[in-house]
Amino acid sequence: MGYILRKVVLFIITLWAAITLVFILPRLMPGSPVDAALGKLASAGVPITNAERAAIEAQLGAPHTNLLAQYGDYWKSIATLRFGTSYSFPTQTVALTIGKALPWTLFIVGTTTILAFIIGTLLGVYAGWRRGKLADSSVTIGATFFGAFPPFWLGLLLLYWLSFKYGWFPIKGGYDPGITPDWSLSFMGNALYHSVLPGLTLAITTLSGWVFGMRNNMINTLGEDYVTFAEANGLRSRTVALLYAARNALLPNVTAFGLALGAVIGGTVLVEGVYSYPGVGNLLYLAVTNHDFPLMQALFLVITLSMLVAIFVVDLLYVRLDPRVRSST
Amino acid sequence: MRTVPHIRSAAVSVCAVALLAVGAGACSGHNSGNSSSAGGGTLTIQGDAGNPTLVENFNPLSPAELGGTRLIYAPLETVSSVNGSYTPFVATGYKFTTPTTLVYTIRPDAKWSDGTPLTPADVVFTFDLLKAHTALDANGIWSQITAVSASGSDVTMTFKAPDVPFAATIAQTPIVPKHIWSKIANPVTFTNTKPVGDGPFELGSFAPTQYTLTKNTNYWDASKIAPSSVVFPAQATNQSTNQLQVSSGQFDWAYQYLPDIQRTYVNRDPATNKYWFPPGGTIGLYLNLTQAPYNNVNFRQGVSLALNRATIAQKAVNGYMPAASTSGIILPNEQKWLSPTLPNQGMVSQNIPAAMAAFAKAGYTLRGGKLVGPSGAQATMTIVQPNNFTDWVAAATEISTELGKVGIKVSLDEPQYAQYSQTIQAGTFNAAMGGFGGTGIPYNDYNLTLNGTYAAPVHTPTANNFERYDNPGVNHALAALAATTSPSAQQQATDTLETMMYQNVPVVLLYYGGSWGIFSTKHFTGWPSASDPYTLPTPYNEALLTVVTHLVKA
Repeated sequence: MGYILRKVVLFIITLWAAITLVFILPRLMPGSPVDAALGKLASAGVPITNAERAAIEAQLGAPHTNLLAQYGDYWKSIATLRFGTSYSFPTQTVALTIGKALPWTLFIVGTTTILAFIIGTLLGVYAGWRRGKLADSSVTIGATFFGAFPPFWLGLLLLYWLSFKYGWFPIKGGYDPGITPDWSLSFMGNALYHSVLPGLTLAITTLSGWVFGMRNNMINTLGEDYVTFAEANGLRSRTVALLYAARNALLPNVTAFGLALGAVIGGTVLVEGVYSYPGVGNLLYLAVTNHDFPLMQALFLVITLSMLVAIFVVDLLYVRLDPRVRSST
Repeated sequence: MRTVPHIRSAAVSVCAVALLAVGAGACSGHNSGNSSSAGGGTLTIQGDAGNPTLVENFNPLSPAELGGTRLIYAPLETVSSVNGSYTPFVATGYKFTTPTTLVYTIRPDAKWSDGTPLTPADVVFTFDLLKAHTALDANGIWSQITAVSASGSDVTMTFKAPDVPFAATIAQTPIVPKHIWSKIANPVTFTNTKPVGDGPFELGSFAPTQYTLTKNTNYWDASKIAPSSVVFPAQATNQSTNQLQVSSGQFDWAYQYLPDIQRTYVNRDPATNKYWFPPGGTIGLYLNLTQAPYNNVNFRQGVSLALNRATIAQKAVNGYMPAASTSGIILPNEQKWLSPTLPNQGMVSQNIPAAMAAFAKAGYTLRGGKLVGPSGAQATMTIVQPNNFTDWVAAATEISTELGKVGIKVSLDEPQYAQYSQTIQAGTFNAAMGGFGGTGIPYNDYNLTLNGTYAAPVHTPTANNFERYDNPGVNHALAALAATTSPSAQQQATDTLETMMYQNVPVVLLYYGGSWGIFSTKHFTGWPSASDPYTLPTPYNEALLTVVTHLVKA
């Protein structure tokens, strides 16, 4: 049990460090929330005056206390899960703001990450098993080609051709303008329709990572003695490929999958931006540009926590997946 | 609650420019149309930035209000940011009985959308609300007035000191109903989701990506309002998507920078697709007047003469906007104010020999390709500008090339807006790109930028006059302009300010910032245009109300 205990202690230390960094980093950005708010007005064509500045200062109630006191308040807000009011949405709590955005990102990025992992890993197994053959080359070349696309660029291309030119897909948003989200079938259908292009963009650009990782692991594993032994024993090639080689080759990919799931919440700023998707990525971008400390802190916290928890779970999972981890403790 | 709109930066997306050029050439594009406009009574206006979803807030005194709130709450009057002309709403007019006493007469037939009559008591209540809550007084009204009172149908404001042009700021304050707002505990955070207003529209429906207003039948002038409803779809977070949507004709009115507008918009339906891109303000190079050599007027004149404004305008806004008059007057909007004594309407053309002569007077001469000062060191300048204002960045890049040719070592600093704002307000910059004017009222334009009382010491932040100009002649002319109601005295003081701006170069004015109004005359006509420039084509701020009440059914 020493292994798990060590992992738990490490988790707690990392958590404290991450939470503290989340507090420090936004405050290292030059300029204050008031300055950022003035920027929003300036780009909307409002003359920036001292009266305007005073009104915004009064409105935001931007922190005047010292950093240590703010750090204390910050821990209090984490402990009580009350992150206060965001500067960007002065009439709405941070929790509500994030709560509205989180399901969209979880749904779209979660689904595509799982799909890309399954499809990419299977393709990688196939390519690794048929290494050097035509099937391998076409999978590898295809994955290289699509993997080289920057997601936002692919997003813009799909948006222009499929949405604007041909009108097959909506041009923006998570659902049609004018409707309010609910749990009805028609709304879900509408939301699903809007998620096709962002999902496709993410899937295409992340697929190749899984393909390459799995293919290379497969090739390594296939060189192992036990695989040769299994083949010499006359087992069917599919049995050898999937149950003997792939099962062991999968281990590094599981680690990567855990990390990818952890990165789901924070990893899609650009793609969400391209499609104006109502998710956490857009919210994060907005929070940073507005110097919205409460919102930024809460978002970074969610992102860091999900990453840490994912790593922790993968670590624990390894005990079951890989007997060597157990014996080394 | 905002005063007058001026320059909005052209947020040009390179991707969209490339894509649009391809699309417009190849075909007419996909037009998903707008089924809700079919009846002809619906006006579709490109709405607020989505973020990406909207937060319901129809509090007209809050800076986080949704843009359409302007149609629900009418002010006393609106003031055109093109030429400063007044359009009466709740008030029928105003007059200064003394230079410090301003009287607005309230329309007797004005009503709230719940049928309650609007009285001068509502107006007094609104201004008292601003007094009680600094966070609501974004225009600093209570820094200028000392009291508001009602008698009969009149509302009287008492000023601390004469400030005639401030009537425009007071006039544009949205009025809220006392019988509802007196029960609101905190009007700063109040989101007012069931607004009761005095404007021509009331809230129809709200959804996170679109809201709809419907005509207020209790509005005093309801029969003259053409649209039966107004739809505001939220903007995309992606500028390219916004450009594509505007280009494909989904809006009756949009505010969008589009490259090659003739091809990307007008040609798609030349009969109804119109645009008007008037100047909305002046973009200039602000030099820090607390630092040498920028505090030397000869050096500033040298910089001004060394620049080719036509090229800068071309690079910054693709030739949509011309070089600016260095008088501070926006042409042609404010032509009537232009001083006849200014040579060439205050335009300054590039003249390198004259620039070198001016630099020489400041003690700077060209040696080995470097402009060297009395101390033997080369003249340097770091220009700061926010990195997302792409037209300013393009202009500053061209400026650095042109000043490089006269031997000044120029470097560019492009932080986020927040840092830019902090730097300029603290006065720790060398040079900064910035906007000048655009309120439609010369006094407000000059006062915000040149009034010496705002020139705070370095490290004390000031948003007004951040270049820290302090000139007794200018201060005197500003005071005279604030105090007079006589047109000839106003013209005289404005002439002085224009001349000082032209000769003294407190700001090196460069080119006009555009106001990118895009219209369709398919459902409604009466849009502002070059031949009828009644206000700026910005579908937010006061212009929204002025334009929508001006429309007639096509």
